[in-house]
Amino acid sequence: MGPVSNVASGSKRKLIPTKPSGKDSKGSESNKDIKVDNNEEELQEELLANIINDSDTSDEEFNGSEYLDDSDEEDDDNDVDSNNVEDESEEDADNDNKSKSTSASPKTGKSQQKPSKSSVLRKSIGSEDISDIDTEEEDEFDEEEEDEEEEHSEDDSGLENDEESKSENDEENKSDSKESSKKEKTSKTEKQIEKNAKKLDNIKLDSLSKSKQKKLSKQKENKKEQTDEEDKTSTAKKSDTENEKGHGDNKSEKKVSKKESKGKKKYETIFPGNGEYQNETDTSDEEDIRNTVGNIPMNWYDDLPHLGYDWSGKKILKPEQSDQLDDFLSKMENPDFWRSVKDPQTGQNVRLSDADIKLIKNIRNNKYPDAEYNEYAPWVDWFSSEVMKMPLNRAPDHKRSFIPSKSEAALVSKFVYSLKMGRMKSTSWMRRHRKDLSKKRFFMLWPSDTDAEEMRRVHNHIPAPKRFLPGHAESYNPPGEYLFNEREIKEWEELKGQVWNRKLHFIPQKYNSLREVPAYKNYMKERFTRCLDLYMCPRARVMKVKIEAEDLLPKLPDPRDLQPFPTTLALEYLGHTNFVRCICVEPQGQFLASGSDDLTVKVWEIATGRCVRTIPAGGVVRSIAWCPNTALSLMAVAADRKLLIVNPRVGDILIQTKTDDLMSEPPEGVVLPDKVKAVVNWEVPEVELWDADGLRIVLNHFKELRQVTWHGRGDYFASVMPEGANRSVLIHQLSTRKSQIPFGKAKGLIQCVLFHPVRPLFFVATQMNIRIYDLVKQEIVKKLFTHSKWISSMSVHPGGDNLLVGTFDRKVLWFDLDLSVNPYKVLKLHGSAVRSVAYHKRYPLFATCSDDLSVIISHGMIYSDLLQNPLVVPLKLLRHHRMKKDYGVFDVAFHPSQPWVFSCGADNRILLYT
Amino acid sequence: MAEDENAVVEPSEEVMSEVQLKFFTKQEKYAVPDTVFAVQGNLGVSGLNSLINEILKEASNVDEYKPVQFDFLVAGELLRTTITSFLESKGVSCENVIDVEYLESTPTPSPLDCILHDDWVSAIDFYNDWILTGSYDHSVHIWTRRGEHKLNIPGHGGPVKGVAWLYNDGSDAAFISVSTDQTAMLWEWKIESNSIECIHVCRGHERGLEAVTVSENKQQFATGGWDTLLKIWSADVNKERGGGDETGGDEGTTSKKRKKEYSSASSRTPLITLKGHKEAISAVQWIATDEILTSSWDHTLKLWDAELGGMKSEIVGNKSFFDVHYSPLSKLVITASADKQIRLYDPRIKDGAIVKSTFSSHKEWVQSVRWSPIDSQLFTSGSFDNSVKLWDLRSPKVPLFDMLGHEDKVMCVNWSDYRYILSGGQDNSVRIFKTKHQPKSGDGKKSTSQ
Repeated sequence: MGPVSNVASGSKRKLIPTKPSGKDSKGSESNKDIKVDNNEEELQEELLANIINDSDTSDEEFNGSEYLDDSDEEDDDNDVDSNNVEDESEEDADNDNKSKSTSASPKTGKSQQKPSKSSVLRKSIGSEDISDIDTEEEDEFDEEEEDEEEEHSEDDSGLENDEESKSENDEENKSDSKESSKKEKTSKTEKQIEKNAKKLDNIKLDSLSKSKQKKLSKQKENKKEQTDEEDKTSTAKKSDTENEKGHGDNKSEKKVSKKESKGKKKYETIFPGNGEYQNETDTSDEEDIRNTVGNIPMNWYDDLPHLGYDWSGKKILKPEQSDQLDDFLSKMENPDFWRSVKDPQTGQNVRLSDADIKLIKNIRNNKYPDAEYNEYAPWVDWFSSEVMKMPLNRAPDHKRSFIPSKSEAALVSKFVYSLKMGRMKSTSWMRRHRKDLSKKRFFMLWPSDTDAEEMRRVHNHIPAPKRFLPGHAESYNPPGEYLFNEREIKEWEELKGQVWNRKLHFIPQKYNSLREVPAYKNYMKERFTRCLDLYMCPRARVMKVKIEAEDLLPKLPDPRDLQPFPTTLALEYLGHTNFVRCICVEPQGQFLASGSDDLTVKVWEIATGRCVRTIPAGGVVRSIAWCPNTALSLMAVAADRKLLIVNPRVGDILIQTKTDDLMSEPPEGVVLPDKVKAVVNWEVPEVELWDADGLRIVLNHFKELRQVTWHGRGDYFASVMPEGANRSVLIHQLSTRKSQIPFGKAKGLIQCVLFHPVRPLFFVATQMNIRIYDLVKQEIVKKLFTHSKWISSMSVHPGGDNLLVGTFDRKVLWFDLDLSVNPYKVLKLHGSAVRSVAYHKRYPLFATCSDDLSVIISHGMIYSDLLQNPLVVPLKLLRHHRMKKDYGVFDVAFHPSQPWVFSCGADNRILLYT
Repeated sequence: MAEDENAVVEPSEEVMSEVQLKFFTKQEKYAVPDTVFAVQGNLGVSGLNSLINEILKEASNVDEYKPVQFDFLVAGELLRTTITSFLESKGVSCENVIDVEYLESTPTPSPLDCILHDDWVSAIDFYNDWILTGSYDHSVHIWTRRGEHKLNIPGHGGPVKGVAWLYNDGSDAAFISVSTDQTAMLWEWKIESNSIECIHVCRGHERGLEAVTVSENKQQFATGGWDTLLKIWSADVNKERGGGDETGGDEGTTSKKRKKEYSSASSRTPLITLKGHKEAISAVQWIATDEILTSSWDHTLKLWDAELGGMKSEIVGNKSFFDVHYSPLSKLVITASADKQIRLYDPRIKDGAIVKSTFSSHKEWVQSVRWSPIDSQLFTSGSFDNSVKLWDLRSPKVPLFDMLGHEDKVMCVNWSDYRYILSGGQDNSVRIFKTKHQPKSGDGKKSTSQ
């Protein structure tokens, strides 16, 4: 005990420098009472007391049997208790010895715990008797402590050497199977116990370094603290008992209360830091103080004579194996045998400390192994609903604590929505609903007479007409007037062929009683027909969708809103004797020129229909064009192979004469290239023709001309010879009297050409396509695809951005040159080949004429807003021409200023529509 | 009570319904007692006529009562159908008493004569028994009222589109002719010697002329044509007479020769040229001392101030105007335009073109319209449907008379003398109809004095 006690005292010295260590005197108990506030002093005293107690117990333990008997008397039933007590008696002696030999430090701690332990033990063992025991506590203070210790030691011994315990303690065997189960539990704590044992060994072995000492002392301190805590609880009880018994001094009470307060304090300080545990981890360093083999299974050394190596590298030899006799002897002699455990590290027997035993005991009793832990500590409701002044936690509130929860909001909105939609019902609704359900409910057995019957297949079902209720005639006992007399029966018979004309479908009959009424023979038949009627005739109200033909037509403005446009035949210009192939209106709008198959060109006064002039053309006139230059009185006439430039000699006389002057002086030195000469040659007509017919220039072409057209300025004009291959288009200049062949290659059978009204563009229509050439750059600008077979004519809008094309396959195509190379609109208005198309110069009108004798006037509005597409509305069909040789209307032309249109046809007439 | 009757006889209303009429007249000699007559609804003009005549006959107590033809004015319009249908069309209730004004009907014009030309007659004027016609054969003709050809005056280089008497005092006469050869010619004609002389050739128009009119004081005349200009010329005959020695009258000389002669006749330049029309002027009329009314193809009628030389007002129509005539009696303007209708305008209304009424019966373009010189209600029209019609303002749907006879389009009509309606047409003829109606006491003198 000496060195250990020294160590302990050394460690204590820090705390209690003045007091000497070791067990000194019994009388120090009195000191205990005298001691005051000073913690250290208290501790010191406690230590002393413990030692004294220890000694006391050893003494008393021998007499323990007596006590045990008493206890037995008190609760006979408790086997465990009795066992324990018996064990106690055996080991009391050991206890005494050990208290002397083994380390004092654990004892000092334990000595203090005695009262508390006893109380706890009692609780666990026989809670009913607590009060009784408590009464005895004072007297048997120490004995109790010993009881506990015995209990533990018994367990331990059982664990270590089963045989021993079994053999030695008959009662133990008798005791119970509980022990075995307890053993299992305790196995867990073995390690701890071992540790403790090591510690103890450590102390024994004196391998002390300062630091280690310190650590040890710390450990001890902790243990002390633990014991203090235990005190705290135990003393509370103690005080109770003292109070009850009235034995306790005031002083002792004071001390206890102080201890209590102190213990509490300590607990509080220890609790958050878990210092106890930390200290235990520290002990890992201490584990292998003597044996340096490390944490290896020690059975590796089973075959070796040594156990490991100490600090200085020397082998630690296995201690001598004691044989059974030795064991027995030691068992008999050594009072601590039951609590000695073999340390596998050292092979030494280690005496388990009281604390270890207590720990084991606790575990075996399903208690907290740490006896100091107060499981009944008052609950502090930190996280209560009360708002405290200071936060519990230094950490700032989480963001979600002040931001409304999105998921909750979603949930709420989901609920609200489903409430709105009626999927979810409010509780009030459900309550009402339940109430309604609980009420008696009545159902219509048959559908009502008025409401429409719901049928699965038939919508808008009309219920079948009800049968009439039976009247008096149907009665089995009808009044006399309902019965048929002879005449009525005769009538009935007569109507046999036409049953439906009968007033009644049966003959009313009279029976004396209902019993005599026979079965109704038509019953089945009538039911059957009725059923047939019901299901063969579903009687659905058919909803007929009325679609007016007009609704399907596109929305077009009312033609009346698009006035003025020509609507009626106003004038006829009669005089030609053959087809009138072409017409052209003078730019001023006073005269009209027409070319005919009767080989003449006629000039008409528009207002009166007077033929002002007739010019023999010498060939079939296929095209005629008035020179757009108002300063010149000229027109170009394409007659067979000749292109005649004629002065029609109408209009301003001054201009006529000036034109003649101009024409009579051909520019000199004009030399046409041979290539051109082969195609065309300019010729001044003879004087007679000059005077009589007004011919000014004749251009002899090499092929038959189809068309002649002027450039807007009136200087250039183009002629078309479809058969001329690559020379089919010629462009002539009047002022210089030159001709050009603009195209080197034949792109197809050229049908007609046009000059752009504003820009230097030239439209060339072949059979299928239209090419637009830039005359300045001499390149092709665009190619328009008509998707039709044969183009007959084209007309360009005065604005220049829209082109109207008529085809022989009955189509009229509207090209928006800005829009696409494909037609913007395809109008299939005519029933036959479209011969000619024309735009009006001022009004948004265009006219088309066809071989089906019709002239169709259409509205063709072009908006200055580039985003708005042209509006095309057919307005008026004018059909006044007459068919001749399958030809209808050849040409159509608008008056330059009035909304009038002229047409000429195969019936030799020219018509004016206004 | 009338209502009750109506209710009862409703099914056969068409046949049986009675209308209560009250007759009155502004001609006192035909006055009838102020009583309400219930007459059958299906009664027409003839029925009412016989009724009134009966009453008058009874009232006159003279045996040799001569029945008078009356016209009946109901709600400001001449009755032309049965009473009920007329009232229905006007939307007037048959149940009230209807005031019917009756007036002596316009006497039927009778065809008097037909004067044949060599070519279309495009212009005609009448004054003091002398008929002046312009023809497409480039010449002007003078005829007596009886149809006797007095003179053929070739001189123009194109169809003569307008002629107008300047004065005619029985021995001396002067007239103006305009032609598409862009000239107006001022002629002096000595009736007794039947010698014609072109005093002036008025050059200045740039295109063919269409119309001519003489001012009220006979000092000026105005012409209009295809050059859209209205030109006012001096009509002074004597001014430069000495300048031109041409003493024509020889019919033997060829027209060409004549033309040359005339072209050497003194030329005259316009006093005023009025620009404003955008298209051809189709008709001009001098309507007051300094006001000229023109109609044009550009859909407008324009009123010009001849003194100041500017446009006074404008009426915009929606069709080209071919002719216009102004009546000093009613101060209204009737127009012929490029459709079948005759429109009545009031030039005094400044805001826009308010067509007061439209007269539609013609089947083709109407080429010429003329007011009656003595009756503010009557006018005549010539159309391309070969007919000349006599209209009453109060009967817009049905003309009073259709004067048939022309075999081709009528190009011009004239009613400057109240007795005769003359019309010329493309059938190369001038038809003369005699109107029998007399000038009313007040109006007649005025118009005859013209």
